[in-house]
Amino acid sequence: MNNKIKILLNLMIVIAAIVFLAMLINMNAAIRYAHRDTEDPVESAQRQMAYKVSHRAYGEVVDTYYWKRSDYLEPPEGMEDLYHVAAYAHAAFMSRVYEESKDEQAVRENAEKMERLKKDLGAYAFSADEVDAMIKKAP
Amino acid sequence: MICQNCGAEVGPEEANCPKCNAENPFATQHRQNKKRFQKAYNNTKGRVIDSAQKTKGLATRAAILAVLIIGILIAAAVTRHEYEGPDPDKAARREAERHPDEYAKEAEQLLESRAYMEYVSFLYAHELQNFPPEQFEPLKKVTYVAMDYYECIKLMEQIVLRSDDPEYFDGLDTDIRNLGMYLESFFQVVKVQKEAEKNEAYLACMEDMEALLKAAMRTYFAMDEQQLEEFLSLSEVQKSVKLEEVFRHEQ
Repeated sequence: MNNKIKILLNLMIVIAAIVFLAMLINMNAAIRYAHRDTEDPVESAQRQMAYKVSHRAYGEVVDTYYWKRSDYLEPPEGMEDLYHVAAYAHAAFMSRVYEESKDEQAVRENAEKMERLKKDLGAYAFSADEVDAMIKKAP
Repeated sequence: MICQNCGAEVGPEEANCPKCNAENPFATQHRQNKKRFQKAYNNTKGRVIDSAQKTKGLATRAAILAVLIIGILIAAAVTRHEYEGPDPDKAARREAERHPDEYAKEAEQLLESRAYMEYVSFLYAHELQNFPPEQFEPLKKVTYVAMDYYECIKLMEQIVLRSDDPEYFDGLDTDIRNLGMYLESFFQVVKVQKEAEKNEAYLACMEDMEALLKAAMRTYFAMDEQQLEEFLSLSEVQKSVKLEEVFRHEQ
């Protein structure tokens, strides 16, 4: 009986040793991953925004905005422009919806909101015109 | 001990009295007892040593196994910690669980102001979409509707504002397929939840979202009322095909 238990324990020790070795390798990889060189997230976000806007991919700007906003209601550092442009794009999208609904109060309030948002666009002020053109032209 | 013959002192192991040389009967008994006890002691000692020898290997192996398992657990914990990294905003997001009344009130205000996209973003940012505090229980039905509304509007914005640069990646097929799916879901969910909702204010929000979405569809799908009703009666796949025609201008 004791011999059988010893054999079982020997087997478990071998398996545990293999798993432990694998975990050590994995842990080493995790530590290297955590200390890897990474791009500055602010620069990265700004570069991606510039790229998307250069191709008039405001749909992707909006997509990133909603995705990021599911974690951060306020823009993280480097994403302020993205948040402002996307918020304007949403307001522009809704402007035609409110007009179609014939909701004059909503149309008026939305127009005021668009004016306020336009002032926050800074270097991306030209995006407002591009977005307006795309919304007007759709579908 | 006292000699029974002369009364002198006799040691228990002395066979004869040192004074009168009389035989000491207790010494014989003592020697016999001593032999018996020695034998029993040796037996017991042998058994204990045998038993220890048998289990000695087991204890060592068990100790090695325990050390390896502890090592595996520690390595797993370190690995997880290194891959996950710090999450400084987790505490901020969990704030809603600590002050549910305030957050429920803020959520209701967003609904009242018809900021449905903001409402859903608010729920996501504060991790209130799944298993929210009980203060959010009355908002459950309107939240189901709002979440589908959010996805539909988000996808419509992505499609309408997609890049017209032929060099840029075209994800229109995927967006249209997803939009078809969420439109199907929205109109099913809103029908069911409107029937179940007893609160007039939340019912009004659901009807408002339905009206806004239909207005968006009429605007951006270039459909009138009748065409929209026909479109809504199509299956999910048929909706996607129709939207392909609309957005690729093939109609």
